[in-house]
Amino acid sequence: MTVFTCEDTFEAMMTCVYDAWASRLGHDNLRLQLEPVWQQGLFCDYVHVDADFAKAAKVVRAIQRKISYEAYRQVFLATMSFEPDRLDAVYRFLVLGFASGRKLTQMLSRPEVVWIFELSRKANTEANYFREFTRFSQVGSVYVAHIEPKCNVTAISAAHFADRMPSEYWMLIDDNRRLAAVHPKNQAFYMTRLTQEELEQLRRTEEEEDLYTDLWREFFESIAIEARRNSQCQRSNMPIWYRKHATEFR
Amino acid sequence: MEIRPELTLQEKLHILADAAKYDVACTSSGADRRGREGYLGNSVAAGICHSFAADGRCISLLKILLTNHCIYDCKYCLNRASNDTLRTAFTPREVCELTVEFYKRNYIEGLFLSSGVWKNPAYTMERICETLYLLRSEYRFNGYIHVKAIPGAPDELLAAAGYLADRMSVNLELPTGESLRKLAPNKTHKAILRPMRMVSDTIAEHRLAIGKSAQMERSGSTRRLGGGIFSEAGRQIEERAARSRPDDVGLLREGQTPARGVFSGESRPDDGFPRTGILKKTWTEGHESSDSARRGLRSQDGGRESFVLPAELRRRDLQRPFVPAGQSTQMIIGATPETDYHLLKTTQHLYQTYDLKRVFFSAYVPLNEDSALPALGTPPPLLREHRLYQADWLLRFYGFHADELLSEERPDFNELLDPKCDWALRHLELFPVEINTADYGMILRVPGIGPKSALRIIQSRRHGKLDFPHLKKMGVVLKRAHYFITCSGRMMYATPIEERYIARQLIGTNEKENWQIRHRNEGVFRQMSLFEDFQMNFYG
Ligand code: SF4
Repeated sequence: MTVFTCEDTFEAMMTCVYDAWASRLGHDNLRLQLEPVWQQGLFCDYVHVDADFAKAAKVVRAIQRKISYEAYRQVFLATMSFEPDRLDAVYRFLVLGFASGRKLTQMLSRPEVVWIFELSRKANTEANYFREFTRFSQVGSVYVAHIEPKCNVTAISAAHFADRMPSEYWMLIDDNRRLAAVHPKNQAFYMTRLTQEELEQLRRTEEEEDLYTDLWREFFESIAIEARRNSQCQRSNMPIWYRKHATEFR
Repeated sequence: MEIRPELTLQEKLHILADAAKYDVACTSSGADRRGREGYLGNSVAAGICHSFAADGRCISLLKILLTNHCIYDCKYCLNRASNDTLRTAFTPREVCELTVEFYKRNYIEGLFLSSGVWKNPAYTMERICETLYLLRSEYRFNGYIHVKAIPGAPDELLAAAGYLADRMSVNLELPTGESLRKLAPNKTHKAILRPMRMVSDTIAEHRLAIGKSAQMERSGSTRRLGGGIFSEAGRQIEERAARSRPDDVGLLREGQTPARGVFSGESRPDDGFPRTGILKKTWTEGHESSDSARRGLRSQDGGRESFVLPAELRRRDLQRPFVPAGQSTQMIIGATPETDYHLLKTTQHLYQTYDLKRVFFSAYVPLNEDSALPALGTPPPLLREHRLYQADWLLRFYGFHADELLSEERPDFNELLDPKCDWALRHLELFPVEINTADYGMILRVPGIGPKSALRIIQSRRHGKLDFPHLKKMGVVLKRAHYFITCSGRMMYATPIEERYIARQLIGTNEKENWQIRHRNEGVFRQMSLFEDFQMNFYG
C-alpha cells in the first residue's frame, strides 16, 4: 500500500490527487492522507506531495469539464470539512466521477457520493452559519472579526463579505487555525497565516466597544416578545458555541 | 405643553424597536443582488438570519418604527392613540446611521421600516421615503430594505418607496371586514387592498418590462409540480399584466416623461375577488365598488393601475427595480373568531390574486385591556399559528390547496397531527407510494418527505434502485414516512395501512412537539419542526 500525504490546503490536496492518479499504482493499492500522519501503517510506503499550482489547476479543470461544476463545488467544500479522511474520500469520489461523468452527484445510492455529499453539506452549513453569526468590531477604520469554525470556512465566508462590503477595510480571523482573510478597500481579499504574536494583538480588538455595540444589545433585548419567551428554541437555533464571538451574547 | 427631556438614541431605539416587534415578518429573502464597489451591501435570495432573540425568533433586519406617534386607534396595538405612552420619532439620519453601522458589523441584513400614522398617512409616508432616499443615496446602502406601505398615502409616495425598497408590505390585519371594523375602526379592507393591488400590478409590469414573467418566481418544487395554487394563478396574473403595455411603465430613463399619469385617486382597482362561497362573506364588505364602476374602469384602463417612477428617483444611479423581493402581508390570529379554514382560504386567495411572496400569521399577544379582545395574560395561540405556517408551506411548496386540508365541515386544524399527516391519513387509499416509480408530486405528499429529498429521490433513482437506508441519507424522516412508502414493493416494517393504527403511531411522534409548542413559554419548544420535516429554510 502506498500512502500519498500532503499538508492541509486545497492546492496541496488537489496536487496530491494528481500525483496519486499519475502514479498508476492502481486505485486499490493506494491511499491519500493528510499530514501530520500520527500512526504509520506497518506495510505502507509514504510519499509526501508538495503543492503545485499547475497540477492542482489541471485537476480542478478536469473535475469541472469531465464531471460537473456541482461536483467541483462539493469537492471544494469537502476538503474544507474536518473529517480526518476527507482527502481519501475526495479521491474515491473522483475515481467514480471520472468513470461516470455528469451524473455523479446524483448517484446517491453510491457510498462514495453520499460521503462527499455529507461532508460538503457540513462545510456549507457551517459557512452559512458564519455568514450569519460573524460579528465585526470597529478598530479605527478597520472592521475585524474573530471566528472559530470547525470546518475551514474562512475563505468561503470571506468571499461573501467581500461582496457585501467591497469598499471597507476588514479582516476575518480564524483564531484556531491562525488564518486570516484580509480585505483592503476596493480590492480582492487575500488569505494569510498569522504569527502567535499577531494573533494575540488582534485578539484584543474583540474587546473594542462603542456606541453601536451598546445600541445593538439594546435592540436585541427590546425585540424579543416576553409572552413568547423561549430559550430552548433560541438555543437550538443558535448553538452556544457559535455565540462565543457574538456581541449580543458577550 | 408637556415638557420632556430629549431622549437619547438608545432610549428611542428601546421604544421604537419594542413597538415594532409585533410585526412578525423578519426575513431578508427574495432579492438576489451582488455588491457594488463604492456601495455597502448585497442581498442573498435565501435571506440571512443574524441572531435569535430570547423568544427564539430570528433577527434578520433592524426592525423599527420611524415613530410610535399614531392618530389611529387599533384596539390591539400598543401605539394606539388612546394609550398613554411615551411617544418619540427617529430622524432620517438616525435611522441611516443605525442601519449602516449595524450592517457593517454584520448584525443585520438590512432595515425593516414601519411606522405609526403620524399626523396623516401622507406625512408619514413622506418621512419614510425621505429616510429611505437618504439611505440609498447619501449613505450608499445597497442591502435589503423592507418598508411598510401606509394605506391612504398618495400614490407617488408609495411608488417612491417601492423603488427604494426590496419588499413592501401592507398588513391585512384581520381576515374579515367585520373584525377589522370592530378592532381597527380607522381601517378598511378597501383602503388596505388598494395599495396591495397597485404594488402587485406594478411589480408585474416591471417584471414584464425587463423580460421576466409577470408572476414572481416560485420555488423549484412549485415549478416542478405543474399543479398547485400558483400555476392556476399564473395565467390570471400574466393575462392581467398583458392587458397593459409594458413599455409605459418600464424604468424611465433620464428626461423621459411617463406615458401615463399616476393612478388617479377616485377610481378603484379591480381586485379580482371571487364573490362566491366563503369569500363572499369575507371580503365584500371592504369592497363597496359596484360592478358597474368596476366594468367602467376596466374598459377605460384595462382594469389596471400602477405606479410610475417619481422625478427625483430618475437619477441614473438610483434606477432600481420595483419591489424586487415582492410583497407580503400579515394577519393577526386569535383576536377574532375566524376559523382556520377561513384564514387558509384567505391566504390562498392572497397568493393567487396579489401574487404575494409571503403571508405571515401573528399569534395575538394581548397588550391592551379591552372588552373586544381576549383578556390580558391570555397565552398567544402558538400551536394554531404553527399549524397555519405548516399549511402555508403545503400551499406554497407542496402543491396542496386549502380545500384539500380543511373544509366548512372540518374548519380547524387537528391539534394532534400536522396538516400533512392529517391529510395522508384521510387518503390512505393513495398509499403506500412506491419510491422507485411514483411521480414527484405524489412523493412530495408523503409525510416526512420534503421538496429537497423528493428531488434527490427522483434524480438518484435513475442510477440505481433506492432502499430505506438511501432515503435516510437523503434526508427523509423515516419515522414518519415509513407508514406510507415502499421500496421495491417492500415496506420498512410490516405495518398495517390502517388509519387508526397509523394515527396512534403518528400522534405519538407528534405529541412531544405539540406539547412543546403549547408550553413554549416554559421554554422547551424546538423551533418549527419545519426545519426537520420540511427541510426548507423557514425564513425563505
Ligand atoms: S395604525 Fe393601528 S396598528 Fe398601526 S400603529 Fe397606529 S394604532 Fe397601531
